[in-house]
Amino acid sequence: MTTKNVKITGLSKIYPGHNGKQVIAVNNVSLDIKPGQFVTLLGPSGCGKTTILRMIAGFEIPTAGDIYIGEDRVNSLTPDKRDTAMVFQSYALFPHLNLFDNIAYGLKLKKLSKEVIQQKVHDILALVNLEGMENRAPNQLSGGQQQRVALARALVMEPGVLLFDEPLSNLDAKLRIYMRNEIHKIQRKIGITSIYVTHDQSEAMSLSDLVIIMRAGNIEQIGSPKDIYAKPANEFVADFIGVANIVPAKVIASFDGKTTAEVLGKQYTASTEAKFEGGEACKVILRPEALKLAEQGEIPVDVVSSIFMGESQDYLVKAGDINIQVKEYNPYYKKIFEPGEKAFLNIDPLSIHLIKVSEK
Amino acid sequence: MEVKQRSNFSLQWDEMQKIFRDPILLGTIIFVMVALVIFILWPLYAVLAQSFFTDSGSLTLQYYKETLSHSDNIQVLVNTIVLGLFVSAISTIIGFIFAYAHAYIKLPFKKLFNLIAILPLISPPFALAMSFIMLFGQQGFVSKVILGIQNSNVYGFRGLATVQILTFFPVAYLVLVGLLKQIDPSMEEAARNLGATRWQTFRTILLPLLKPGIANSFLLVFIQTVADFGNPMVIGGNFNTMAAQVYLQAMGNYDIKGGTALATVLLSLSVLMFVLQKYWIGNKSYVTLTGKPSRERALVNDTASLIVIGIPCFLVALFIMILYGLIPFGSFVNLWGIDYTFTTRHYKYIWDLGIKPILDTTELSLISMPITGIFGMVIAFLIVRKKFFGRSAIEFVSLLSLAIPGTVIGMGYVLAYNEPPLVLTGTGTIIVLSFVFRSMPVGIRAGVASLQQIDPAIEEAAQDLGAGTFKVFRSVTIPLIKSAFFSGLVYSFVRSMTAVSAVIFLVSANVNLLTVAIMSHVDVGRLGVAAAYSTVLICIVLIVVGILMLFLSKLGVSISDVQG
Repeated sequence: MTTKNVKITGLSKIYPGHNGKQVIAVNNVSLDIKPGQFVTLLGPSGCGKTTILRMIAGFEIPTAGDIYIGEDRVNSLTPDKRDTAMVFQSYALFPHLNLFDNIAYGLKLKKLSKEVIQQKVHDILALVNLEGMENRAPNQLSGGQQQRVALARALVMEPGVLLFDEPLSNLDAKLRIYMRNEIHKIQRKIGITSIYVTHDQSEAMSLSDLVIIMRAGNIEQIGSPKDIYAKPANEFVADFIGVANIVPAKVIASFDGKTTAEVLGKQYTASTEAKFEGGEACKVILRPEALKLAEQGEIPVDVVSSIFMGESQDYLVKAGDINIQVKEYNPYYKKIFEPGEKAFLNIDPLSIHLIKVSEK
Repeated sequence: MEVKQRSNFSLQWDEMQKIFRDPILLGTIIFVMVALVIFILWPLYAVLAQSFFTDSGSLTLQYYKETLSHSDNIQVLVNTIVLGLFVSAISTIIGFIFAYAHAYIKLPFKKLFNLIAILPLISPPFALAMSFIMLFGQQGFVSKVILGIQNSNVYGFRGLATVQILTFFPVAYLVLVGLLKQIDPSMEEAARNLGATRWQTFRTILLPLLKPGIANSFLLVFIQTVADFGNPMVIGGNFNTMAAQVYLQAMGNYDIKGGTALATVLLSLSVLMFVLQKYWIGNKSYVTLTGKPSRERALVNDTASLIVIGIPCFLVALFIMILYGLIPFGSFVNLWGIDYTFTTRHYKYIWDLGIKPILDTTELSLISMPITGIFGMVIAFLIVRKKFFGRSAIEFVSLLSLAIPGTVIGMGYVLAYNEPPLVLTGTGTIIVLSFVFRSMPVGIRAGVASLQQIDPAIEEAAQDLGAGTFKVFRSVTIPLIKSAFFSGLVYSFVRSMTAVSAVIFLVSANVNLLTVAIMSHVDVGRLGVAAAYSTVLICIVLIVVGILMLFLSKLGVSISDVQG
């Protein structure tokens, strides 16, 4: 198997709308995906992530831009001529074929010999833990099994690129986590280039080498799961991934990648990549779990609500007019503040991340 | 970083690239378009052209003036509309009562309802008119033998309207019963829970929900009544209708021009109703908004409902069964109205006369069956799954042929294929073509309905795994919609066997058809022979459909799917 790189340059898709209202689904997107990488397109529904995937597979025709799979520009190829295999959201198993024939469908089209097909189907069934179920019809399988057949049917083609279109969204929560781990394990084992579309951030985080955050047809940020979470490029990304307190702040001074800013009346210094000017208004991203409440400390706050969640105590506190969420883990053995109490908020200075005020 | 603005047209052109990069798909679309133009639009154009142009080729309204200044023809037009409105209204009411009885009341004889809905399809379209004459005509069993009336006159408005109502109300019944079953019973329970009585619930919830469906069945029955050719010919008497008059004017009076003018008027009426039905009513169903009912409705089981609704429905159904039963019965009676002794002489007569019409009809219907089936599924596939310029035109034209009265399209075929470039008059080919294009719409509808329920991702998956368009269609699409495909086959065969209005223009010395033969025997009063022919026809239909069903159950397609 030769797994391939995928290169996208200036890709756009505009749909002709009714009454002349055109819909820009994908807006001038460029990407370079290396062989063997697992890349996730993450964003809210309607952000264009599925459209990009379907253009790579060949189901949609780009309005502008080019798509390369390996060395070949594939723009003019029909889906059946492209070296891709897709795992569909609805699985799209052939209901009139049994499990074996579902998986063998593409192999038969390749005109492989009976023995080779037998062998390949057998091997792939072992990989996805479905041995001995060759004669089952799709409707005799559970949701998780159907999912694995869909995965096997794509994998068995040994495609240059594997495409996933929200493959886990039809499974219940437990099974979703199990299958997520299965996909992770299998992909790392065979090292196939994978492009995965989802709106579920935990899937993106746990599976990917690279996460691409999209909104309204545009790429908002490309980065490793760690970077996306800890160093979101803007308010949208910060808000979309996890829970974030986005607090207005003011730059005091900035030089040499170090910026000092005034946050809630206190001064903090953080390392920054973006350039800031002294006196500039900015925002600071504070993750709830990076904050602590104490009887003494930096910033005085009023406790508005306090909810015991088991694993954590979730607070909503007010510093002046600003609402801030705080998450204290392992709360059972700690001091718990009640609504109406006064407290102090302490910020872990390493976790402070400054961003520019985005013009909306 | 905005993308360059593009015109809507150029964006749509981009979408078309999906078609152009796929030569098989492109070829299929062109083939379908050409076929629809040649075999539906061109004949219609031929009719229009004949009616608007003189033989020397100049535009004129002369033929309309001549034809419509004839007071007879005005009367015929009035007749047609009055009859259409009357029959549609009564049929819709009866259909509604049957549908209500089926969906709401616990009755032991509901299977009978489905049977009387199928019988009109598998028998000659004028079967009930024949039976009606056998019961109430001059030599009628009821009129003469039981009541002793001499010279009873069954011909005319009353007889025709009754026969058409009994033939067409099942159409309304099928439409309405489908809708009633889609209504979630919890909606009615909500109304009852808020304090409405059963009657108030019916009036304030059910009727408003069904309004579009009621309008729909009214128009469907209207289209069929107006296009009906067999019944007016057999039992219309002096009460003439447009569909029959077109034929009489053109073939009886040798006034082709006048015939085409009448045909154009008739066509406008039908197309108007078709457009109303499809575009005005078609989008107005509230019922589908609520989705599938959450559970089955608890059926009413009280004496009042049984007596007021159940028993009358049963009697009507029983009467219809008797009417159909009379046909095989009459075929074994020596001389209807006079001598009721058993005989097989009518069958002997048919045998001696030659069974060529029987063989021809069966052969041509069998030939058109697979063509119709495949063509219908291809069109359904294109309509549902592909986006291309002209798609809605294909949909409109292919379904339009449902609404075109048979006499109009029959006349169009005669006019269009009588001279080069395409000479088909007098051949079996022309009859096969008329069969195909007349019965295709039902297959298309079934195909469209079942394709819409199938996730398009299944076909995309096949293509993604390396299957080309043709392979996807053959290995995935057709197997998934096989019950629609087979119901298209069954319907095509049945409808071809019983067709009369279009093919009456197309039969010749070489090729004669059963229905046409039956009509000519009714015409000269040989009811026994007509009944024998009809019985043979019904038997052939039942045998072929039975074989198909048997074959299907082997393939694992359930028979109820096919009927649905």
